[in-house]
Amino acid sequence: MRGRTVLIVVALLMVAVVVQTTLFGRIRLVTPDLVLLLAILLCLTRIRPEVILAIAFTSGLVVDLLGSSVLGLRAVVFTTVAYLGLRTRDRAEIGRVAVALWAGGLTLVGVVLLMLIGTLFGQSSLLGENTLSRVILVPLANLVIAAALAPLVVRLVDRDKTAFRYP
Amino acid sequence: MLTRDSSSRLVPTFITLLVVGVLLMTIDVRLEGKGVVGVLRSGTQAIVAPLQEVAAFVVNPVADMFDSLTNVASLREQNIALRAELADAQAELVAVQDQLAVLALLEQLYGLDSADPELGQTVANVIGKVDAAFVVDKGTNDGVVVGQPVIDTNGYVVGIVMTVTSGSATIVPITAGRNGLTVLVNAQVGTLTPQVNTSEMRLLIGDAREPVIEGDRVVTSAGSNAYPAGLPVGVVLGDAAPESNSLTASVEPYVNTDTLRIVVILAWPPDPVTAATDDAVDVKETTTTTSGDTATTTSPPENEG
Repeated sequence: MRGRTVLIVVALLMVAVVVQTTLFGRIRLVTPDLVLLLAILLCLTRIRPEVILAIAFTSGLVVDLLGSSVLGLRAVVFTTVAYLGLRTRDRAEIGRVAVALWAGGLTLVGVVLLMLIGTLFGQSSLLGENTLSRVILVPLANLVIAAALAPLVVRLVDRDKTAFRYP
Repeated sequence: MLTRDSSSRLVPTFITLLVVGVLLMTIDVRLEGKGVVGVLRSGTQAIVAPLQEVAAFVVNPVADMFDSLTNVASLREQNIALRAELADAQAELVAVQDQLAVLALLEQLYGLDSADPELGQTVANVIGKVDAAFVVDKGTNDGVVVGQPVIDTNGYVVGIVMTVTSGSATIVPITAGRNGLTVLVNAQVGTLTPQVNTSEMRLLIGDAREPVIEGDRVVTSAGSNAYPAGLPVGVVLGDAAPESNSLTASVEPYVNTDTLRIVVILAWPPDPVTAATDDAVDVKETTTTTSGDTATTTSPPENEG
């Protein structure tokens, strides 16, 4: 990964973290998980797979460090989701709808894993109330955002204007 | 079209990161968020908090407008109800002021002094939220330290300061805290613990002598290590009677952390040395009020009068 790509990924991560913790911390009707979505969308780029796993792990760790949940909880979940994303990314190349469904599905896996592993480590209450509604709303929100932003993120990170253009 | 090289290092990297993650979780649980983990949290927060503060400056008006638009109908009804409540509250205030005047007179007659000095308070704005925890724009520069109790502007218990940097602090609400809260209900001491997927909390009184009734007030106990005694926490949701000397009930906290914009951080516990000196309690009070983009900090003179 080149220096400029590193800068772009770090900038995207910071934007995702700040927007997630400020804007979407206030508006309760729309609840995406932007940091998880970024980790998922990076699977579509040309960054080396093991580096994508490391980025996903670091992204999760940053959110863990900012919140009150146990350190490593999101890091493990984001890494697992990124691994699944890397294994299934070929299915997302069909078109915009496929990318959205793929990202929404992976987000669903991430939210469920977060609840399960969080419960195992006694952290369920740290995720806040209305946890069950989040299982539905977060993947839906990520699905919509992925449909809109996936090509843009891929082109920005790969610096390739022709990347991810659908017929 | 995307072109990628498949990597044989993918699975080993994945397993390594999972192991590291689980190790981190274990260490954090063992250290209870202190030590190295606390330093890491403070460091990350120190980097992100200024960005959050700038973003909050832009985001808050937008979010307020969004909230207003979605709540116009309910706001009108709420306004009428609040006017009625205000009239009742003003009537009660007059009665309380009379009682305070009588109390002051009696204290003067018997030469009594207030047992608890007024606590230092730091007013802070909420600038970010991660899961149930939220970030405020005051830190060690404003006298905030880890473990200090946090209340809202009505005096209701909100939570406790978990991590702090020079310009920000992360607060964990009582509904998401790892430890329970020692409370008092009708002269009975119990423990209040958070529950999964609900804002309601579970009250457990181990040595229950009498039942609790719906509407009973729950306040912090003098036995609490984290909060001053007598702060209102919530209200009992349903009647519950003792069974084998123990009692369990649901409690709804007064505070809804989703709607919090401003909180008050209490400088508690006061310094043990000065607190022990009965005749000369010298508590430095620092009040920081924030309005829009301006912040004012005031400290009364040490030898006033």
